[in-house]
Amino acid sequence: MKTILIADDDTNLALLYEQELTDEGYQVEVVHDARAAIERVQQNPPDLLVLDVHMPGMDGIEALNKILGINNQLPVILNTAYSNHKDNYLTWSADAYVVKSSDLTELKDAIRDVLAKRNEKE
Amino acid sequence: MPTNNTSELLKNTLTMILAGGQGERLHPLTRNQAKPAVPFGGMYRIIDFTLSNCLNSGLRRVYVLTQYMSSTLDRHLQRGWSIFNPELDEYIFTVPPQFRLATSWYRGTADAIFQNVDILEKARPEHVLILGGDHVYKMDYSRMIQFHIDQGADLTVACIEVPIKTATELGVMAIDQENRVIGFEEKPSLPKPTPDNPDLALASMGIYVFSTCALVRWLSEDAKRNTAHDFGKNIIPDMVDSGGVFAYNFKHANRNDTVYWRDIGLLDAYWEANIDLVSATPDFNLYDPTWPIRTHTPTYPPSRLHICQEGRSRVVVAQGCIVEDAQVERSILSPGVHIGPGSEVSDSVLMEGVHIGKNVRLHKAIVDEGVHIPSNTQIGVDATLDQKRFSMTPNGVVIIPKGIPIE
Repeated sequence: MKTILIADDDTNLALLYEQELTDEGYQVEVVHDARAAIERVQQNPPDLLVLDVHMPGMDGIEALNKILGINNQLPVILNTAYSNHKDNYLTWSADAYVVKSSDLTELKDAIRDVLAKRNEKE
Repeated sequence: MPTNNTSELLKNTLTMILAGGQGERLHPLTRNQAKPAVPFGGMYRIIDFTLSNCLNSGLRRVYVLTQYMSSTLDRHLQRGWSIFNPELDEYIFTVPPQFRLATSWYRGTADAIFQNVDILEKARPEHVLILGGDHVYKMDYSRMIQFHIDQGADLTVACIEVPIKTATELGVMAIDQENRVIGFEEKPSLPKPTPDNPDLALASMGIYVFSTCALVRWLSEDAKRNTAHDFGKNIIPDMVDSGGVFAYNFKHANRNDTVYWRDIGLLDAYWEANIDLVSATPDFNLYDPTWPIRTHTPTYPPSRLHICQEGRSRVVVAQGCIVEDAQVERSILSPGVHIGPGSEVSDSVLMEGVHIGKNVRLHKAIVDEGVHIPSNTQIGVDATLDQKRFSMTPNGVVIIPKGIPIE
């Protein structure tokens, strides 16, 4: 079973992700800030990280790049309410960029694609 | 000087100079300073040639990425190259590693740029010119950038024809009739010759113009793989299949017939390139007023030379030198060199502040900054003795670094 780490400061939204992705057959863990996500990646890396951008303290873009320095094999999906970060060069190392929606179809598709690509690489 | 058309494209270009190499093969000259800071030609430092090319090409937004032993380089750039006005968005900034992404030094040339991708995000240039800070040549980069735009390229690599024997140390490319790069191999054991001449290979000069989006896209992909994170080894070979890589034939701005581009990577090459400057018509033209080479040297009084010898004396002399009734031939005298009476100096490169006592014989040597050679010393006369005291290059050049006692 693939493990997905969700990093999102919106607890309600994180709960929704956790339920829906668990239903999809993933093992889901949730943290609510970027530092906790980095710590988790360092200690026990998941198979994929879904990373919010706007979080208090360290934002998701800074975390994305720090995580790249720690573990460049970890697939990361940036998941944000704002599409404008997509132009930011600092987000281009993410494996996918998903604009948040109440319908999680796009996120689920992105997770499937990214994990499939990772399997191909391996 | 750039025309109005080119000035717009130059404004949209950001230059990044990789100046962090250790220059291990130039040791001991690089013991305390990065290779781009090594003195050259009596009054320059190696990076002055690249920066002068930028200045003469009209490029005004320049980042110098430093790493190892950067204090001498920093000081030189601050003193000699604080010439632009950042308020007008014109600058030469030095940037040491920020460890923003990784906690390690730059792992390769591509990693050096990727770790500074925030600079590209802030400046948002259309094109990025990437240069090494350790080659000696003259080149108008604006013509290469224009070529890059005309081709609609993702990447343009400057190239030069070199003898095929020397190509094993370089990136070698194959091109089609439209100058599109169709093959690229870094340091190949069997370099491919050019179609016209089996004795020549087409080598990369380590000068790249990237369209910024393509650069960041490829760097971001490379960062997620366990590669050498190097332009020559990884990025360019990966990009070749995309069809967006073009080769730009080096058009030098040397104003003579010699196509001059030197990687001063080895001590023998360093010595030869310096000594060439004393010839009647040096291969490298320092004297073209339309392509001035800028530098910084401290203020010295005028040189005072009492050279006593029969026949010709060919010497390059910087300011502040004093030669007292000595013989000097085929040598470079950097600022503040003092040669005492009765001494004979030949085929040597004397760096700033070198002091040579009385009745010294010095032949075929590189003497590092501030070294004092006591009276009556003989160097370059007895190879066996020299090898016991100093390091010597394969071609027999004696290297006299700072900090060792000379008897």
